[in-house]
Amino acid sequence: YRELHTFELQAPTRLIEWAHGSRVCVAGYGQSGGNEILQLIPPPRLQAKETQGLCPERDFKVECGGFSKHPVYRLKHVPDTSLLVTSGPPDSSVQVWQVSAEDSDVIKSVGTIVTENSTGQPWAKIATISARVPWVLHGSTLDSIQITEVELRKNVYTAASEDSDELSGLAFLDSSTVLLCCARGRLCMADVRQPQRPTQAVPVPAVPHAERWCMGTLCAAQGSDMGSQPVARLSSRGFITLTDLRKASEPLALAQARVPSPGSGAEFLCVSWAPALQGCLAISGFDGTVHVYDTHSWDSSGREAEPTFVHKGHMLGGAGGSGDPPLVTAHTWHLQKPRTVLSAASDGSLHVWDWVQP
Amino acid sequence: MPEIKVTPLGAGQDVGRSCILVSIAGKNVMLDCGMHMGYNDDRRFPDFSYITQNGRLTDFLDCVIISHFHLDHCGALPYFSEMVGYDGPIYMTHPTKAICPILLEDYRKITVDKKGETNFFTSQMIKDCMKKVVAVHLHQTVQVDEELEIKAYYAGHVLGAAMFQIKVGCESVVYTGDYNMTPDRHLGAAWIDKCRPDLLISESTYATTIRDSKRCRERDFLKKVHETVERGGKVLIPVFALGRAQELCILLETFWERMNLKAPIYFSTGLTEKANHYYKLFITWTNQKIRKTFVQRNMFEFKHIKAFDRAFADNPGPMVVFATPGMLHAGQSLQIFRKWAGNEKNMVIMPGYCVQGTVGHKILSGQRKLEMEGRQILEVKMQVEYMSFSAHADAKGIMQLIRQAEPRNVLLVHGEAKKMEFLKQKIEQEFHVNCYMPANGETTTIFTNPSIPVDISLGLLKREAAIGPVPDAKKPKLMHGTLLMKDNSFRLVSPEQALKELGLAEHQLRFTCRVHIQDPRKEHETVLRVYNHLKGVLKDYSVQHLPDGSITVESILIQATAHSEDQGTKVLLVSWTYQDEELGSYLTSLLKKGLPQSTA
Repeated sequence: YRELHTFELQAPTRLIEWAHGSRVCVAGYGQSGGNEILQLIPPPRLQAKETQGLCPERDFKVECGGFSKHPVYRLKHVPDTSLLVTSGPPDSSVQVWQVSAEDSDVIKSVGTIVTENSTGQPWAKIATISARVPWVLHGSTLDSIQITEVELRKNVYTAASEDSDELSGLAFLDSSTVLLCCARGRLCMADVRQPQRPTQAVPVPAVPHAERWCMGTLCAAQGSDMGSQPVARLSSRGFITLTDLRKASEPLALAQARVPSPGSGAEFLCVSWAPALQGCLAISGFDGTVHVYDTHSWDSSGREAEPTFVHKGHMLGGAGGSGDPPLVTAHTWHLQKPRTVLSAASDGSLHVWDWVQP
Repeated sequence: MPEIKVTPLGAGQDVGRSCILVSIAGKNVMLDCGMHMGYNDDRRFPDFSYITQNGRLTDFLDCVIISHFHLDHCGALPYFSEMVGYDGPIYMTHPTKAICPILLEDYRKITVDKKGETNFFTSQMIKDCMKKVVAVHLHQTVQVDEELEIKAYYAGHVLGAAMFQIKVGCESVVYTGDYNMTPDRHLGAAWIDKCRPDLLISESTYATTIRDSKRCRERDFLKKVHETVERGGKVLIPVFALGRAQELCILLETFWERMNLKAPIYFSTGLTEKANHYYKLFITWTNQKIRKTFVQRNMFEFKHIKAFDRAFADNPGPMVVFATPGMLHAGQSLQIFRKWAGNEKNMVIMPGYCVQGTVGHKILSGQRKLEMEGRQILEVKMQVEYMSFSAHADAKGIMQLIRQAEPRNVLLVHGEAKKMEFLKQKIEQEFHVNCYMPANGETTTIFTNPSIPVDISLGLLKREAAIGPVPDAKKPKLMHGTLLMKDNSFRLVSPEQALKELGLAEHQLRFTCRVHIQDPRKEHETVLRVYNHLKGVLKDYSVQHLPDGSITVESILIQATAHSEDQGTKVLLVSWTYQDEELGSYLTSLLKKGLPQSTA
């Protein structure tokens, strides 16, 4: 490691999200209420472009916090506003929060986006876009996808679909196209300017067993070519496919990661591209480790890939044999520093690490 | 409503000096008496005129309690007791009493001798002040006077630091001072029992911080020291004599041993011996591990750390030096700093908070050209690092302490108000208690609900128990009795016993009412009519017709006489005691309605 910082949160989180002003948000997912949503200021050490010697603080500061009665599974900051949206069980509604860091340090709940027939539905996945419009894309199944304008809570788009496939993720490719990942593996796209059925873009990869899938895309940056970054899909058995959306019929690359056989299901599966390191992605959710891969050497044979680096820190920090070993619940890349990753585990630990290229 | 009043004179909403006034059940206690290290004038002392404009402090305050030897908690004590004037008792733990005067004298020397200040306390004042100190042991209940008692609890943080419980009757306040809920290399973690105080006053300096793990911080510290020494540089670590210095010494000693390093480590003379002496003396105040290993070898007798001599600073080659004082504001550490600052191979590591105005603060803010005495400019080329090893409780620790003590109210000091709203809500939601955050000079009033114990007489208990079924043990039972307050005791007794004890005679109150009834018949016939009527209406009551011609309803008496002037009208005299008021007035109104026409 070049740098390693370990922190302990009061309650474990299953999300790590970047918010405006290089803030980091985490939130509790306990079933019994009293979950805290925290917006943290990372230590100055992590904010600087290079590691300066003169950074006094190494600690995260809680800038503001809010309380949620329900477990928080997803959180997204709405760019260019001071709003946050969250989602989680027991239904597919989306909560809206206001962050006003100058006046007070409490994140206030300002409303809920309720969806039709929301009770009994699985919880909603959400995505936001950094464009002029404060939209949030949300939905839990293919037929319940909507885009809502957050400030007025007005519905802007509803997908007209009869397919009730469960979703595992969604993303904006640009301000008029969205990408949807079904839990069973296929990817669909939709044009939000017209309420039509999302079209299937990429089919379920051919794998022997039925698995759960999740996807990782790079945030739609302003003016970038929509299809330039391949979409990665990760399965609950560690199979990774890379697809270029412009040539969706053939996968770009396939690989098998060396992970333990699925135990606790695919709750925390996570795959993400490094924003500052071309072709580098990270996966987590199988055990207490985070794997980093360089995909340049991958081909379409689907053989086992060697990780460039494996972060094992969460496994070592376990509370000495009491209960299950910690499971990594989320990870995210630092937006500027190329090899810095933040990861969280089910024991409440939060690690920030910067590895050395071997 | 009984109330507890708290006024911070310092550390209301700022870090720098702690001095809190508490008023509980008529007793006034001052908690800590710290000095602000960033000011050079009177602002460094708390404003004592707030307490009493012209009265004597000794008359007003019942005692002063000092939580630990850090100057921001005890620095103003000699000024307070000798220059402002206070002759009452000052309480602190044994280690604090031993170490305080050393730090005070050190600071005095630097401020007066080196800086030439005049409005400052003298060495004699420090000695006189310490004569007023009463040392206490952990968990020992100390009676300050007949009603006020205090008890110290282990607080971690530094050697001898304690949290204090102040109790008057059944109202109590716990003051934490600075504390730490996680043990470190040489001290244990704070602990308190479920004492359920009415108020818990807690520091909240690190409440909004999520701290990097100790292991990572130590790893980084050792890496930096190692790198500097490997390239031939010198490492300066300015420390206060006692406190984090011991922690870092143990850390470096262990590392040097493990890595078999040869570079010398020095510790300022005078203080090493004293520190060693005190840690040995107060071994019970350190943590388990130290006590266990102490038998084999003294953890504070270091193999690789030696006493320092001023001349060594000029020796070539790598070395590590611990020197006082901690903020580089004067003394030996500043001297060494000036010698080494120009060489970029060297490094200075600040291990703690530096108050504004000190050289330590300036270099941490990035200043690289410092103006020294005599207008000399010092260019700082050496590396400057900051490693905070100070042990304070974070949000999780504060919640833990509240969970342990179970206070009814919480008051936070030492933080910044705006940033405390979230913590305030968190505490209020989780523990359902009120949370207060006063500013300096602002008085917070907390209302308490003390329970007053009352003795109940056996006779009364037996009598009440005889009425009705055996009550549920968990439900409150309503009882009637008379409360006697005599000689500071409260007793609940039956009214008869109360009268007897007080030598009072019981008075009976009897009401009589006249009801006119139109009835030409003879008196005894009227009485019969009334009797039959009442018997029919008042089925649940005992209605009797006595041989002497009167009717009784329960204990109420009704007699009939003829009206003196009008034979056709009969006068019913209804008479009842005060206790039967309700039935009596009901009967009267019933009779006033008249008798039914046909009765036997």
